[in-house]
Amino acid sequence: MPTIDVRDELLAGLLGAAVPAGEELERLLSTAKAEVEGYDAATGVRRVELKDTSRPDLWTTPGLARHLRCYRGDALPEYPFVSTGTAAPDTGERVVEVDPALENIRPCIAAFTAAGPPVGEALLLELIQAQEKLSDSYGQRRRAIAMGLYRAGAIEWPVRYRAAPPDTTRFVPLGFEHELSLTEILDQHPKGKEYGHIVRGQPAYPYLEDAAGATLSFPPVINSAGLGNVVVGDDHFFVELTGPHLDTLLLVASIAACDLADAGYTIEPVLIRYPYDTARGREVVTPRYFQADTSVELASAERLLGETIGPEEGRRLVQRMGSRARVEGSSLVVTPPPYRNDFLHAVDVVEEIAIGRGLGTFEPELPDEFTPGNLTGQTRFGRAARDVLVGLGYQEMIFNYLGALRDYTERMNAPARVLVEVANPMTENYAVVRDSIIPCLLAAEMSSQNAAYPHHMFEVGKVAVRDDADATGSRTADTCTLLVADRAAGFNDASAHLAALLYYLGAEHRLVELDDPRFIPGRAARVDASAPAASTAEGGERSWTAIGVLGELHPAVLEHWSIGMPCATVEIDLDTLRTTLQDA
Amino acid sequence: MLSVLANLAMNSVEQLHPLEVRTLRAAAGELPFTAADLMAAAGLNLGQCNQAFSWLESKGLIAERERVRVVRYELTELGEQYRRDGLPEERIVALLRDAGPLPMPEIATRLGLEQRDVGSAYGALARERVLAMDGGRQVRAVGGESARVATVRGLLERLAGAGSEAAEALTGAEREQAAALSRKRGAARGVFRATESETVSYALTAAGQEMRRAAAAAGMSGVEVGSLTQGMLSDGSWRAVQFRRYNVNSPPGRVLLGRRNPYTAYLDRVRDQLTALGFEEFDGPLVETNFWCCDALFMPQFHAARDEHDVYFIKEPRHARQLPEPYLERVAATHADGWQTGSRGWGYRFDPDFARRTILRSHGTVVSAKTLTRAKVPGKYFGIMRCFRPDDVDASHLADFYQTEGIVLGEHVNLKTLLGLLKLFAEEVAGADSADVRYEPAYFPFTEPSVEVFIRHPTVGWIELGGSGIFRPEVTRPLGVDVPVLAWGLGIDRMAMMSLGIDDIRDLFSPDLDQVRRRVAH
Repeated sequence: MPTIDVRDELLAGLLGAAVPAGEELERLLSTAKAEVEGYDAATGVRRVELKDTSRPDLWTTPGLARHLRCYRGDALPEYPFVSTGTAAPDTGERVVEVDPALENIRPCIAAFTAAGPPVGEALLLELIQAQEKLSDSYGQRRRAIAMGLYRAGAIEWPVRYRAAPPDTTRFVPLGFEHELSLTEILDQHPKGKEYGHIVRGQPAYPYLEDAAGATLSFPPVINSAGLGNVVVGDDHFFVELTGPHLDTLLLVASIAACDLADAGYTIEPVLIRYPYDTARGREVVTPRYFQADTSVELASAERLLGETIGPEEGRRLVQRMGSRARVEGSSLVVTPPPYRNDFLHAVDVVEEIAIGRGLGTFEPELPDEFTPGNLTGQTRFGRAARDVLVGLGYQEMIFNYLGALRDYTERMNAPARVLVEVANPMTENYAVVRDSIIPCLLAAEMSSQNAAYPHHMFEVGKVAVRDDADATGSRTADTCTLLVADRAAGFNDASAHLAALLYYLGAEHRLVELDDPRFIPGRAARVDASAPAASTAEGGERSWTAIGVLGELHPAVLEHWSIGMPCATVEIDLDTLRTTLQDA
Repeated sequence: MLSVLANLAMNSVEQLHPLEVRTLRAAAGELPFTAADLMAAAGLNLGQCNQAFSWLESKGLIAERERVRVVRYELTELGEQYRRDGLPEERIVALLRDAGPLPMPEIATRLGLEQRDVGSAYGALARERVLAMDGGRQVRAVGGESARVATVRGLLERLAGAGSEAAEALTGAEREQAAALSRKRGAARGVFRATESETVSYALTAAGQEMRRAAAAAGMSGVEVGSLTQGMLSDGSWRAVQFRRYNVNSPPGRVLLGRRNPYTAYLDRVRDQLTALGFEEFDGPLVETNFWCCDALFMPQFHAARDEHDVYFIKEPRHARQLPEPYLERVAATHADGWQTGSRGWGYRFDPDFARRTILRSHGTVVSAKTLTRAKVPGKYFGIMRCFRPDDVDASHLADFYQTEGIVLGEHVNLKTLLGLLKLFAEEVAGADSADVRYEPAYFPFTEPSVEVFIRHPTVGWIELGGSGIFRPEVTRPLGVDVPVLAWGLGIDRMAMMSLGIDDIRDLFSPDLDQVRRRVAH
């Protein structure tokens, strides 16, 4: 979710009125799913968070202002410079020629120019912010959209969008004072390091120059320090966007063009000549309208809203939210403005009606159909285990599931354990999903050595165990683990508590001696469980299922955890135990 | 006097501790007594005597008479060494008698002594005419013994034998040497160590005399029975004994008990509230696929929240072996062109390999989506699920945390029932007043319309309670559901923090046993 700076100075000009005060502005912005995060009264700059990631047109001050104007009842704005593909507007000399070699590199471009008053600091900052938010946030860190802004007065038409050889093409990039090759830009320029991965490895790189051979930019990486260096006072701009999908570029080109038009600039379309087919043909005049109408059955909209709206009121509410609409029979047909492409389904219109009317106008109603509530078997079984352990004097703990690999392997004397590991951890402290709760309890013991002894702790929680039989390669298991730490704590304490726990959970158990490096040799056991003998079939063989381990922790393990007190533990797979009991 | 009377009124013989009774009874009338006297007379140890004196004095039954300062001497480590190996003076004299005259540095070298120690020993011994120096600066023994050295030697042996001696028990000469050779405060070396202590003597007050008589009259010996035993019950001997009265206000010992964790207890309370409202609980695995976590929720595969900054990917295996049909096929078609959902779709080619990519679930809605494939109509479901997100861990962010999510399916559910549901949660689960609930438009890729609910907290102000919406048909239809589905989620960790009075989210998962033991649950 992007957060933008909205300057009072700019907003008031675009509204043609003073900026509404505090709570009123917040209420109005909420209809655009925008929230004020902070306001600096000294500079008149407001931080506004935009929650709707499908409405990039609202991520700019002119876009927000436009929404507020429509919502207060102004007429919908007209943007006649947006071509519809039917008429051929006059583009004069403003042509971009596209190189056939770009088809498999970065095939699409949209562009226009804007002429008007000399740009002030507030608007220039706004344009730079829009470029950044639309390219980086909406444009997937420039992969889908890279936007460039240039001084149009110095450009010799036509502009050429071509595939340039990386090593022999050289220009002075913004922020530098000497020429670099495209390859050198990727290696040396901060923007090259940040965005170079989008094009690196291609035989040629996208490159924009004018008819005189002056460099505009190396999209999606960096503008030239010449034509690409827009400053306060400039009054004529060339704007272009490149990327892999034309419609995405057309949408954002319309956002930028309509914003500049609202700010008092005359938008001049540009003809793009493609040597290959695009979704909108080979000759595309941009800004270009590409959206389709969306139709909604009024009756189904009213069912979803739970309220009778009526066709005329529906139309008015949609317009209030910024889109033209007309009534056709029993349907409402919505024509989105050129800067919006968020109507995927009729339900998107339904929400416009709801917000246009105001959520507060809908009376909350309780769902009236009866449904029985219930807990999962795991929850009920886990609660039974908790009750017994609390009765045995154990303090329940709850831990994070992510941890450090060494805590589960080296520190447990078990370097060969294989866990579910995260491929992209933030730090190595949160790099694996736990496959056992024992290390969590040892970590707690380590940091609780000032607490009065004895320590009896347990957790009932989930672990993820590697399991090739599962389609995802691991199995999540509800697990119950207890730890006792005291001067004379040992196998016998843990064994007695295990016996009590399993008795009250309705299971019989046996212990089978176990070699496990986590425990003192000869003081570790596998725990097998079975349903009580009475419920096994007459004469049938008693079957045992392994459900966990019991052991006295090895002093080497305690030393790894800097624990100075003997510890014994029991770990039980509650899911397996429950299944064992249910199957019997 | 008034205070003594008041104390007397408050004290009754029965309330005396056995130690107090034994002390009073052993106290010798009006004569002063010390701990040492009573240790012998009442068979108490020093600790018991001091305890009894402290209690009796605070009750005004005895009063301090006299404090006598006593200095005792004992050997230091150096003193022990001198006793064993000889005093420097003794060794110098012995050496010179043995080896004949020697220059001073030679004496120091041979005996391993500091030269200045040899110097000062010589000075003293020369004055005592035991040593003298000749013209060639050679030191020699000239006869006689030093009475002073003999005294010190005697003292060394005496203290080694007795452990320590009071200053008064020493002879005048011994006392003089003991004081001269004692380690002064802060000095590194000393042959003797002096420790000062005080002997305090007490005498019974008038009230104490009275209490002593009362205890004697009541036949109390101070050996009253503390505990009723099983034996007394079985042989009936309890009839013949007197039980000591307890001070009911003395602080009890600390009990370490087994106890639920306040946070999980809170989560269970929410579970119980939701089941009481007719919700059935669901659950799911921690390791999920992109398909269920995002694709099935109609989040396009190029969505910004799906990259490595927002989701934890699994290292191995990278892909699930297969995904369930017909859901995969339908979801892929829905993303491409809307399939039969009435949507125009996202208009891109769906990548089934990316869908199989294994991840840690980043939100609980994944289980809501899976539940749709088996849900009843009407149906209400919920789950409290651990979710994972790459966040820097701080006071308000965790790498794994709980989300509470759920769905409501029904022919007749709509925006108004969605608001009704949120109102129910605000009032029943969060305990908000109905006037303090507010609904705002929201955005989630998988719901339309989408609504956030806020409640007014008495001190913090408006806070977000949760997000919700009506699942998009692009979500429900491919999973086989044709009725509207309300989807909702509550910020359970934040509610728990407010309920438990915690302001650092990491404390919810505290590994500190003492902190967990002490936290009071509401």
